[in-house]
Amino acid sequence: MEEVVKINIDGKEVEVPAGINLIDAAEIAGIHIPNLCYMKGMKGVGACRLCLVEVEGLKAPVIACNTKVRDNMIVKTKTERVQEVRKFVIDLLLSMHPLDCMTCTKSGICNLQKYAYEFELKESSFTRKKFGYPVDAANPFIKRDPDYCILCGRCVRVCKEQGTNVLDFMGRGIESKVVTANDRPLQESECTFCGSCVDACPVNALLEADRWRKGREWEYEKYNSVCMLCGCACEIKVSVREGDIQKINSGAKDGSVEKYLCAYGRFGFDSLRAESRLSTPLKRVNGELKETTWEDAINIVSTKLKEAGKNTCIISSASITNEDAITLKRFATEVLKTQNIGSTISLYSDPKVFKNSGKADINSSDLIIVIGLNLSQWDRVLPAIDAAVRKRVNRGAKLIVINEAETGLSTVASINLRGNEIESIKAIITALKQSGAEIDKQTEEYLSDVREITEEITKSAGMILNAKSPLILVSPELFNAASNLALIKGDIIAVYPESNARGVALMGIETESKSYAEMTDSKYSLLYIAGNVPLQNRPDTDFLIVQNSYMNDIAKNADIVLPVAEYLETSGTIIDYAGRIKHLNRAIDSHGKSKSHREIFREIAKKMGTTLKMPVESEIKKAADVKAKISAMPFEKTKNLHFEPDKFIETLNLTVINNSRLIWLKEAFEVKAEK
Amino acid sequence: MEEVKRLEEKEKKLDDIRRESENKKCPVQRLLYYIDEFISGPMCSKCFPCSLGTAEARIRLRRISKHTETDIKDIEVLERIGAMMIEGSFCKKGKDTGKFIIDLINSSKEEFQNHIYGICSSTECIALIEYIIDPELCTMCGKCLEVCKEKAILGEKKKPFQTGYLPFEIRKKRCTRCGECIKVCPEGAIKINILKPEFA
Repeated sequence: MEEVVKINIDGKEVEVPAGINLIDAAEIAGIHIPNLCYMKGMKGVGACRLCLVEVEGLKAPVIACNTKVRDNMIVKTKTERVQEVRKFVIDLLLSMHPLDCMTCTKSGICNLQKYAYEFELKESSFTRKKFGYPVDAANPFIKRDPDYCILCGRCVRVCKEQGTNVLDFMGRGIESKVVTANDRPLQESECTFCGSCVDACPVNALLEADRWRKGREWEYEKYNSVCMLCGCACEIKVSVREGDIQKINSGAKDGSVEKYLCAYGRFGFDSLRAESRLSTPLKRVNGELKETTWEDAINIVSTKLKEAGKNTCIISSASITNEDAITLKRFATEVLKTQNIGSTISLYSDPKVFKNSGKADINSSDLIIVIGLNLSQWDRVLPAIDAAVRKRVNRGAKLIVINEAETGLSTVASINLRGNEIESIKAIITALKQSGAEIDKQTEEYLSDVREITEEITKSAGMILNAKSPLILVSPELFNAASNLALIKGDIIAVYPESNARGVALMGIETESKSYAEMTDSKYSLLYIAGNVPLQNRPDTDFLIVQNSYMNDIAKNADIVLPVAEYLETSGTIIDYAGRIKHLNRAIDSHGKSKSHREIFREIAKKMGTTLKMPVESEIKKAADVKAKISAMPFEKTKNLHFEPDKFIETLNLTVINNSRLIWLKEAFEVKAEK
Repeated sequence: MEEVKRLEEKEKKLDDIRRESENKKCPVQRLLYYIDEFISGPMCSKCFPCSLGTAEARIRLRRISKHTETDIKDIEVLERIGAMMIEGSFCKKGKDTGKFIIDLINSSKEEFQNHIYGICSSTECIALIEYIIDPELCTMCGKCLEVCKEKAILGEKKKPFQTGYLPFEIRKKRCTRCGECIKVCPEGAIKINILKPEFA
């Protein structure tokens, strides 16, 4: 039970959770306390002094961002005394800020503009100050214009908290400036171009580089959706104007450690309009792929499928929605009546893992144990999870990293257990047992040849015992071994490289019969590839159908190519690694004549004489609602599940990278690596 | 421990600045000195009322001391900055500085107002005064010529038994009113003239 306290804000009685600060408490009461430097979820620094409020019984005003609620507190947020300080600060800030709201891209979403309006400040009553700092616009992602900066420090803090630590203040007082190391352009720093600073900036100092005259906040239609470029499956907010995406921001809740988006998710959308995007079906005529109509393509596909009969194989990617996966499953069982259906999932996980992986919220865990995962924002291996873990650590959670070699997270971990992961897990469980924790009998049977219990192992065990809600993030191949630990305490979640791996598996595309490798290696008379599958060479087959959004290597070798809508062009749901159902909302129309996977399957099925049922939300919810059942497992790595996450994720995103401004990033990093 | 020591040093420095500022007789100069030292020294520049407020105060004070584009409102603005720093600053340093501004203006209001009209009765605001050499008193001894770093003094040192020398003059544009010449003049011939304000 959450403890609540009663407070009175501006005469309004509200009950709020104990321990929160006054800004968040006022928000619950529907009252906005002005602020420029506060960021929900992070500790208030009290730099802007706008959030000063008066508390009954205290002589001087206090800053709301750093004052916790107390029971029966009486707070006044709009007294003359504090309003005067607020007006004074806004007045001073205006004196050093360009007054060009009429052409400013941030107009409408700028906090300074909002407060100037509120305090009726047409212009500053103080001396106008001009700095004339150079603009950093040398990269295609983020533009920095220090002349607009109000020195709130939000970008600096958000960059520090997530561990990239690129930005900092230089100089003092009014001459301060937010800079990279040695005040170099962003691409010469360690910047990953995630754009968290852009989301944090309350004014026009940090902005997406291509936003000039591409519309302002009130001109956009907004769509909440999900990024499907990697296993993080981040929530996004898509801004659309005149049928085109103008920008993508993080869609996670304010204050959540998951409020993060990497450069791929934020800036990769240019690829939707790339030349290599497929816009019409293609068929092979005299050895060359020629454009054709949907009717013709569907005719050919259905004829070929009939001919091939049971000797058909379908390989799907796990970056498709649940709805697409259900339809594909139905298509395979009801129309093709084949068992030969599988997905890229079998490259890195197995069905058991999906069924047993739990549900948890990283925001509420006070101890995170990362096992066998090389998370990295820099190599873009599940960058949002890396950022979330680092943020949790900065907000007070403990971190234990169990990994063969040193990983990026090692630097922020409370304890690093290097060497064989299985051995470390065994040692921790033994130490837990020695401390009196209850161990499953089966686990005890599996425990053998435990290595020496080092001081670090004892410390780790102590942390686990003291933690309220430990969270174990594990690579699928180590899931079984780590289950034994979760059996004692904590939630366990396996992490995958593809966005909807869990959803695709739970919707019934399982790989029990055949693995991906078996399918691509054996000979079928017809091979149907749905989605972005990392195949370069044409497998041995008589007829190859590729259903993808881009012209990639495998599509070039296909006999029929069917154009598919990208994730930003479809609606649907996915199930992320933590078991949450996330909703995609179609932000823009599908490119050219492309259609969603499910539309295509349904049309082919119809041509073949079967009407496929539309997937409904209730069946997705039902399929997603598996009760995680972890049990004692032998201490060994699950075989054949090893993969290189960085290479895998890069291969998956190759088309997006090569067809957007992300290619600049790739090249810039290559140049840097050479140096 | 080290941090505590450093903080103590800073705290002490604020008092030092206050003491040092008392060397200035002119309240405008005293406040300007204090603010200058505060910004370059103990100010932590963490919160806006203090870091942005003192920057504005410095601009206003420089303007007042130079009598350029001054306005009677400047004093009100300084008072507002002081009051808001007391109310809004994060730490004691900021609040103390705000209090210093308010107290100084309150205790020397008239002198502040005089500055707005271009009068620095303490003759420390160099833009508001000029040095002149009284030709009746000047003996052309040349001592001022030697000490003047700016080479602002025109004249030729008188040699014994020769005539035809003219009393020394000060080139006003070069003179920085550093006061060195006054100190060495044996005759007290160098006077400080309070410039006649163009409106009074």
